[in-house]
Amino acid sequence: MSQDHLSATFAALADPTRRAILARLISDEASVTELARPFEMSLPAVSKHLKVLERAGLIERSREAQWRPCRLHAAPLKDVADWVERYRRFWEESFDRLDVYLKELTEKEKRHGRKRRKSE
Amino acid sequence: MAASDAKASKGSNATEAEVVITRVFDAPRELVFKAWTDPKYLAKWFGPKGFTNPVCEADARVGGAWHIVMRGPDGAEYPCGGVYREVVVPERLVFTNIATDKEGSPILDGLTTVIFEEHGGKTKLTLQTRATAVVDYAVAHLKGMEAGWTQSLERLAEELAGS
Repeated sequence: MSQDHLSATFAALADPTRRAILARLISDEASVTELARPFEMSLPAVSKHLKVLERAGLIERSREAQWRPCRLHAAPLKDVADWVERYRRFWEESFDRLDVYLKELTEKEKRHGRKRRKSE
Repeated sequence: MAASDAKASKGSNATEAEVVITRVFDAPRELVFKAWTDPKYLAKWFGPKGFTNPVCEADARVGGAWHIVMRGPDGAEYPCGGVYREVVVPERLVFTNIATDKEGSPILDGLTTVIFEEHGGKTKLTLQTRATAVVDYAVAHLKGMEAGWTQSLERLAEELAGS
């Protein structure tokens, strides 16, 4: 996947309505009317969001049925999630190591403290 | 295009991601701060599991530089570094983080803010980091850093549902 595509996917995901639409499509395909229902939004407004998602390759719209159901296309979503999660993972694992290291340091400190008190 | 969209795609080959992580460490704030700013301490924990830091330099003053070369379990090296923008002992650190390839060209460009808070004798750390991948290679770079980890769609579904 090119960086351009990844950018389009990030842009598409920047909007909470579009994320909610994707979350809805995880369970099943849906028509524009069905997708519009949970939002206080006109059909054209929802259609606009769907176009952004379609351009980003996140959804596909069937041309066969009259009601043109929307279907989730998860591949680009997974690429973005991988990218962000790898970044998060980097820091989470660093923090795990920091946690262990700080424990070593504070225990050392305590032992030294006890020794000092004993020799006093 | 809305302002939030523009933020997410600010160039034809740039991609931006933000990550916020909070963790409470059972150590005094001064010590946690030192673990971030003293290169001898920093070298002990920076980077994913199994990594070492054969090069670790940190000049924690505003305008000072940091430079770390991480070495993975397979021996591959990942240089990174940046410049401190804010240093408030022992409360706050803001620094740029740039990962470079072997030729020194930037492949990942980010800004990280770390906040250290007293939390009942412990220290609450909040890390906010924004990263911009500047070339395709960054994706491969990040993939290399992570050993055998895979993302499941179920996990993503939970995250999307929760947002």
